[in-house]
Amino acid sequence: MRSRFRPDTIPDASVLESHKPLIRSLERRGLIRGGVSLGALAMLTGCDVDRPESVESALLAISRFNDTVQAWLFDPNRLAPTYPESMILRPPKFNAYYDVTEVKPVDGASWRLELAGLVADKRPWTLADLHALPQRAMVIKHICVEGWSYIGGWTGVPLRTLLERCGADLRARYVAFKTADDYPSSIDMATALHPQTLLALKYGDETLADPFGYPVRLRMATKLGYKNPKWVTAIEVTNTYPGGFWEAKGFPWFAGL
Amino acid sequence: MKRAIVSGALAVAAIAALAGSAWAQSPTPGGMPPPPGMSLAQSAAMRFPQPVRVGDLLGRAVLQPVESQNVLGRVRQVVRNPDGEIMVVIAFGGFLGWGTRPIAVPVDAMVLLGQDMEVVAYTPDELRRFPTFVPGGSSDVADDTIIRVGLAKPSH
Repeated sequence: MRSRFRPDTIPDASVLESHKPLIRSLERRGLIRGGVSLGALAMLTGCDVDRPESVESALLAISRFNDTVQAWLFDPNRLAPTYPESMILRPPKFNAYYDVTEVKPVDGASWRLELAGLVADKRPWTLADLHALPQRAMVIKHICVEGWSYIGGWTGVPLRTLLERCGADLRARYVAFKTADDYPSSIDMATALHPQTLLALKYGDETLADPFGYPVRLRMATKLGYKNPKWVTAIEVTNTYPGGFWEAKGFPWFAGL
Repeated sequence: MKRAIVSGALAVAAIAALAGSAWAQSPTPGGMPPPPGMSLAQSAAMRFPQPVRVGDLLGRAVLQPVESQNVLGRVRQVVRNPDGEIMVVIAFGGFLGWGTRPIAVPVDAMVLLGQDMEVVAYTPDELRRFPTFVPGGSSDVADDTIIRVGLAKPSH
């Protein structure tokens, strides 16, 4: 697709020649230094830049601004790329903030999905209840902020379906998750309602295995890997910013792809 | 000018401090060796072994479980040794795929790491002392066979 930022009329190449000395004087280092200068930071927040914590809060303000822009750019009807089933990596890649030996399997029979916040019917859901809802399958890329990716095939209940069935306030700002491995997470309502946002029950047509979030995990095609909590135990619909595990350590909250 | 440089350095230091906390993806490292005294089979059982098709393992990179993820070799074949144990034959060492030699590593000493594998139970020095694999006595495991291999979190 042609970039919408591309100008209709392309400037004549001779301007490069006529501004040669100026272009030579532009150094990348200088640009970076100039871009993150005292003045720029101070202007953004009016903070005292002599203290590193105030610089950190300024950078977090920039991150929040980026979140706002990403949320504005997000198209609720546009689908992320999908792939043929033959490309599914079996088994998927394990990842967590701890090693696999520390995974605590969840008992599917006694598992309940608790609902809280701006939801009309807070009756907890069983695994059988979720299996009885319409299912959707998608083969999507899992992209980690660390730089790796793989193609995975996920089947489950669209989060939208669950939110509609339990009478959630779909105008609320956030959908928050609690998990059995103490990995809180939250997403924006627009992404929660996106067709490629699933409460995944299966991977590659097999019941989700323990290390990958059995019985239920979140899988979204439109956000980075760390936004997809495994072993989900509770969902809350809220207008109060819920944050998340990595977000509390400075990761961007929106984390769109 | 000097002030600008100092302020620039300060800002960059602040970014580094922020990024330092952001990159801390690994409070517990992945791919740790088995605890002392534990058998390979016992340690593999703790790693939630997952079914994988043997044919899907062939050609995979075998990594060292360290942050730089050095490539130790590539999976060449999977065999069952005379004792009935499943061994992964790795084209080990060499340079850019040249000058490798085959060594047979117990599958329980290895883990799956997405599209790659890792040797968690032996150091590269130990692997260098492994004998060169000779097919005599072991039987090839067919591509369609499903075996179980443990997992690890990424080491970076």
